[in-house]
Amino acid sequence: MNSTPAIALDHVSKWYGQVIGVNDVSLAIDGGVTGILGMNGAGKSTLFKLLMGRLRPSNGSVKLFGTDPWETTSPYRRVGYVSESEKMYDWMTSLDFVSTLARLHGMTRYEAEKRAEQALSFVDLEGVLNKEIGKYSKGMRQRVKIAAALVHEPDLLILDEPLHGCDPLARTSIMNVIREMGSRGKTVLVSSHILEEIERITEQIVILHSGKLVALGNLHAIRAMLDKHPHRILIRCADSRALASTFIDQQSVYGVRFIDNESLEIMTKDLSEAHQLLPMLILKSGIQIYSIENPDDNLESLLGYLVGDA
Amino acid sequence: MSGSEINDSEGRRLSTTVWTALDRKAGAVIELTIKQLRNKTSTWTVFGVSTLLLILLSAFYVDSVRDGFESIDNDGDSVDYDGDGYPLGQERKYGSSDFNPDEYPGSGLFIPEGEIYYNGPRSHTGNHSWDADGPSLFSGSWDNILDYYPEADEPCPEIIGEDLENTPYGWSPYSCVMANEDRYLQFLRFEGNGTLTVAQGWYGIYGVVTERFQVAPDPPEAYIDEDGIDWDPDNPSSSQGFDDDGDCTRSEYPEQIAADNDDSNRNRIPCDVLWTRNADGSVIQIQPDMLVDEDPVDSELMGESSHRSFIIITGKIAFTMIIGIFLPLFLALGLIRDESENGTLHYLLSKPIHRGEFIVYRLSGYLIFSGGFVLLMSLLMAFVTVFLGPDGNRLADFNIWFGIGAVTVLSLAAYGSIFNAMGLMSPKYGVYLALIYGVYEFAMAVMTLFGAELVPVISVSHWSLQMIDAVVLVAWPDTIMLSQMSTAFNIDSGLSFFWRPPLHTFGTGSPALAIGLSITVLMAFISLPILVGQSIFKRREID
Repeated sequence: MNSTPAIALDHVSKWYGQVIGVNDVSLAIDGGVTGILGMNGAGKSTLFKLLMGRLRPSNGSVKLFGTDPWETTSPYRRVGYVSESEKMYDWMTSLDFVSTLARLHGMTRYEAEKRAEQALSFVDLEGVLNKEIGKYSKGMRQRVKIAAALVHEPDLLILDEPLHGCDPLARTSIMNVIREMGSRGKTVLVSSHILEEIERITEQIVILHSGKLVALGNLHAIRAMLDKHPHRILIRCADSRALASTFIDQQSVYGVRFIDNESLEIMTKDLSEAHQLLPMLILKSGIQIYSIENPDDNLESLLGYLVGDA
Repeated sequence: MSGSEINDSEGRRLSTTVWTALDRKAGAVIELTIKQLRNKTSTWTVFGVSTLLLILLSAFYVDSVRDGFESIDNDGDSVDYDGDGYPLGQERKYGSSDFNPDEYPGSGLFIPEGEIYYNGPRSHTGNHSWDADGPSLFSGSWDNILDYYPEADEPCPEIIGEDLENTPYGWSPYSCVMANEDRYLQFLRFEGNGTLTVAQGWYGIYGVVTERFQVAPDPPEAYIDEDGIDWDPDNPSSSQGFDDDGDCTRSEYPEQIAADNDDSNRNRIPCDVLWTRNADGSVIQIQPDMLVDEDPVDSELMGESSHRSFIIITGKIAFTMIIGIFLPLFLALGLIRDESENGTLHYLLSKPIHRGEFIVYRLSGYLIFSGGFVLLMSLLMAFVTVFLGPDGNRLADFNIWFGIGAVTVLSLAAYGSIFNAMGLMSPKYGVYLALIYGVYEFAMAVMTLFGAELVPVISVSHWSLQMIDAVVLVAWPDTIMLSQMSTAFNIDSGLSFFWRPPLHTFGTGSPALAIGLSITVLMAFISLPILVGQSIFKRREID
């Protein structure tokens, strides 16, 4: 592996007039799948556009494989990019679309077609190669875009909200592709505003909030930190009062709240211990349980905890 | 997916160098651009309208220009103004007036023998036919007052003494008999034996009236195409032309009156045509004497010059000024702007392709597509004019149409590059900028057509039109002569208006130099906006 990281951001800021899109972000990523998490407007797309030379940083430096992408297009030989934009050439067939983009890498028509076929079958679209993109479902369109980004076998794959609006089948297919790329040692950057999505793909995450980098690292480590933070567990059951009494004397539980006769909210500062206790206590009480939810186990709560204003 | 080496369809290993890769990228962008243009409704609308325009022009050509090759009375002497059955040409031959039905060939002509002139004696005596031009007094016997006048036999009102200048009867023929039996008259012709006294400041003519004889009227057709252009290109003499119908020399005329023998071109040879030639032998000026070669055979000269005018007008107005401006307006303005507005630009720009390079490839795709259409249209027009044109070497038509096609492709490139740069400069207002510029170019083209030399120099249309003029001269070297002939012999084919020898040749008159210069200037019009567009596009953020 080369000593130059695939992605290196050094104190990068991007202003849109008075509004800041990315605020003093420094980051180096090389190898594996990294999830970029953030709410809408957190700066994920801006960050990707900076990486793809679509935007020029107001401050700091952006390097792709050691080269500034605003100045030169040479790093794009090794980069595949899927933008959040849903616009495509609807009148083209997917084979035509992917092979045309492959030819922009200097491939011959024949080579580009072969590679496009391979890339499209890699994203499970081999049966509809010659259908116009306009007739595709949203998930299929997303996969065509991924195929176009993969066609030249890039070392770095940047995916901006690739699962957005996709049906479960397409999501699974796309997630498999991303995991497969990661397992091949490629660097994959994938953004999402849904924690659960990223969790299913990777453990390595970067969290952006209001343009700032608020967390970087292993999702489990972050989660472990989060577990020590006040957490709520919402239980819907046949008799909430009876169930409440079984929790009251537990160390890990510091509060119980009745919502109604069938709903109960338990407050804990040690989520993993609470989850270990839960099955045993429920079994002991013999009360019928309808559902158990963790309303705080999402990105908003995570951000709230990390940013400290939840 | 596998990263294994891919061979081509014949099993050869594909080699990749910087150049082949560049070539392939260009091919891909050009192909994509063509496919996109092919998928746009506006493309087919503008192509359809252009085709329709050319079909209409071809129909006009077949209907008017081709049918217009029938003989025309260029000198207008086949008409019979006074309705006496004798055409003007025949009346001229016999010296009779075509504005008086009583005067016609054989009707008897007044031949002057002498006159009472301003500075001579005021009276003359004899037995003559008299023509009194002003107030006059006649004593003697008179007869046959040719101009009937109702008051002729009335006694004169009151003529004061001999003061003939006191003419109370205005500016009309008049006569009356005075108390002393003399006749007072003015503006009259009559016969009489006696003395005519003419008032001071006026004159009278006396002579004889010829005998009447029978002349059969000529058909008007005898005076159409009766005096063709007599020119021998192999004769180096500058004096050419022959007065076939004799209306200049009048040598063959039945009545030898006032032989004209005009020498208005002042080469001391009456009734000829002066052809001035360049050092290379091409004719640059034609000056005929009056009435020499004034009614040529129209299918020969008019046919050819109308045919050329049609091609030149179609080339200049339909191809360069209309198709040349409108096609780029519809197809080139959004080459990059539309991609960026549709949100598809990032697919192309996230590939290893420079933005500057990208502009050139996009424009190339547009040019191949629109240029292909223009060349196809010019080829079709060539078939129309070659097969329907007048007799002669029509192969030169292919050259001229190819030239017109090439000039239009150059202007498509120039306008394409300018409009594309405008689209980049202001994605929002680029269309208005382009419209204003299109109107400006059209105005400059009109000025160029009217012969303006300096003002339209900063315009694509000026150099395109001048290039067509030069191409015409290369394909048909005798066009200068034909244009001169049209002017000299009054042939209204439009050739001398719509075609002029190329303006910018540094005084050499060389069409090759004019073409070279036009190409150079047009290249600047093509490349400068590309550079401007590239520098704008390179710094543009694509959100």
